[in-house]
Amino acid sequence: MTPDAILTRDLTKVYGKLVAVDHVNMRVAAGGVFGLLGPNGAGKTTIIKLLTGLSDITDGDASVAGYDVRRDPMHVKQNIGWVAAEVILDDDLSAWENLWLQAKLQRLSDWKGRAEEILKYFSLEDRRKDKVATYSTGMRKKLEIALALLHQPQVIFMDEPTIGLDPNTRHMLWQLITGVNREYGITVLLTSHYIEEADALCDQVSIIDRGKFVASGSPSELKSRVKSDFIEVETRSPLEEARLRRIPGVSDVKNQGKAWIMKVASAEEVLPRILEELKPDGITRINVEKPSLESVFMDITGKRIESGGGDVQDYRKFYMQLRRARQ
Amino acid sequence: MSVENRYAGVPATRELAAGTRVSQGSQFAGLYGREILKTFRNPLVLLITFVQPFMWLAFFGSSFSTVPLPYLDVLLHAHIQSYLQFLLPGVLSTSMLTIGMFGSMSTIQDKRFGFMKRILITPTSKATVYLTKALGSATRGMVQIPVMIAAALLFGARFSGDPLMWAGWVLSLVLLGFGFSCLFLAVTASSTDWQTPGVISNFITMPLMFASGALFPTANFPSWMQTIAAYNPVTYAALFGRGIVLNGQANWAYLGYLALFAAAMVAIGTLVASRYLKVE
Repeated sequence: MTPDAILTRDLTKVYGKLVAVDHVNMRVAAGGVFGLLGPNGAGKTTIIKLLTGLSDITDGDASVAGYDVRRDPMHVKQNIGWVAAEVILDDDLSAWENLWLQAKLQRLSDWKGRAEEILKYFSLEDRRKDKVATYSTGMRKKLEIALALLHQPQVIFMDEPTIGLDPNTRHMLWQLITGVNREYGITVLLTSHYIEEADALCDQVSIIDRGKFVASGSPSELKSRVKSDFIEVETRSPLEEARLRRIPGVSDVKNQGKAWIMKVASAEEVLPRILEELKPDGITRINVEKPSLESVFMDITGKRIESGGGDVQDYRKFYMQLRRARQ
Repeated sequence: MSVENRYAGVPATRELAAGTRVSQGSQFAGLYGREILKTFRNPLVLLITFVQPFMWLAFFGSSFSTVPLPYLDVLLHAHIQSYLQFLLPGVLSTSMLTIGMFGSMSTIQDKRFGFMKRILITPTSKATVYLTKALGSATRGMVQIPVMIAAALLFGARFSGDPLMWAGWVLSLVLLGFGFSCLFLAVTASSTDWQTPGVISNFITMPLMFASGALFPTANFPSWMQTIAAYNPVTYAALFGRGIVLNGQANWAYLGYLALFAAAMVAIGTLVASRYLKVE
């Protein structure tokens, strides 16, 4: 049996009256990539702070890399790396000096060879003597991961590793994270509110909302819980609900603003029929939603993870109705 | 709503083989090194550190330049060859009052930019962070000592004393500066506001500067100010230096008082910081 890299029992954090983390039980096997997925303010970063000893645990237990976080935080800290959501480096120092400082803080005596190897792996060796202030965002992020790897930690915590990055840099980072996990055999715990990120990187995901885990499993397991696809259409001329319901394969229909959302067993089968049926009405927009972690989250909480849209309420009603219909 | 990730029967975590402490020597060297690197890489900080003593001596040192020396002797309760000679030990002492502000501001910067998290996510104790900041800002303040002495010589001041006394004088300033850095950092340990160090600095510096024997002899003070001055470490660093400079006499008990002051500040400060130093 592989030992657990992270284990918590009823992990709880309370700030005043706010329960930021609410009796969370998690187990992350060594060598895996574990994702904490949830909207902003769900408690993802707080969990990282608790597990890394940056914040005190209110109640419950946690162990990381085999050490008890409460009783032995210093040994936990020797065995973890950390990549912050906002890139945190000393801008007045060069990459090499940042690595030197990290080596000192981790009490490494023989670190230079490894530092050079890591800089090479991240293609930063040419710029190692330059001040970090002159680096691009992608380079800074890479250096931050390099710092996290220097002391050969067992677990790396990555808090929203690709937030605010352009798509190219994000994909480059995805490759790096996967590479770090595979080549260095390091357990990765990452938080994200990007569905596709969790889907692309993680072998286990826990969905968190208001400090509680609401669902856990591999991305494909979670997605298989939502059996249906959703097709959203808008047309130039108004549509009648009964007409849409008559289309074979459509199991439910819901109006949302100008759009109609149809629940179907398989979008591939039903889409051609819908296109044909609605051709005379002039389709202006069509959108297919396959089962995703987003739809799992919506299914459970009635909210979108990537929040900010004004349609949350409508979705909530729609999914409530769908759930009732299913029962 | 179903909660699926509840694991029953979580096995016990690894038993602790050794103590949970991790020695701090390497982290101390790293963080102190960082303070020094950052200080001496900032040309503006260096420039001001060098120019400030000259300004003190040029402006303040000239304020009695037309007063005949016998009058000054009466006013200052000392036999002097120039006002600069009297002033230098006092100005050096008072400049040690403000150096804690540097450490305090760089600590707040580390909190606000998240760097404190980067430090404390490694096996580094809050006490280590605190001590390196205090020592770092004391070191930065020390740069002023040789500059100011050289400046005073350049302005024509002549000093008595032997090398041992001079070494003791420098040590007294180091102790005073380190003590006040410790005090300053302890007071601002839980602060994350940029404005705090400035406010605290004014609050601490102003009364302690004037209620001391640094700039004027305490004999001219009202009794309540004399009481403050009698406990004020700034007084003793100034008197210690002045005794050497003017008369070639060192009162080593003053140095002992300053050593006690520094020791008390570092002990209290370390306790306060390891408890209240905020991460962000």
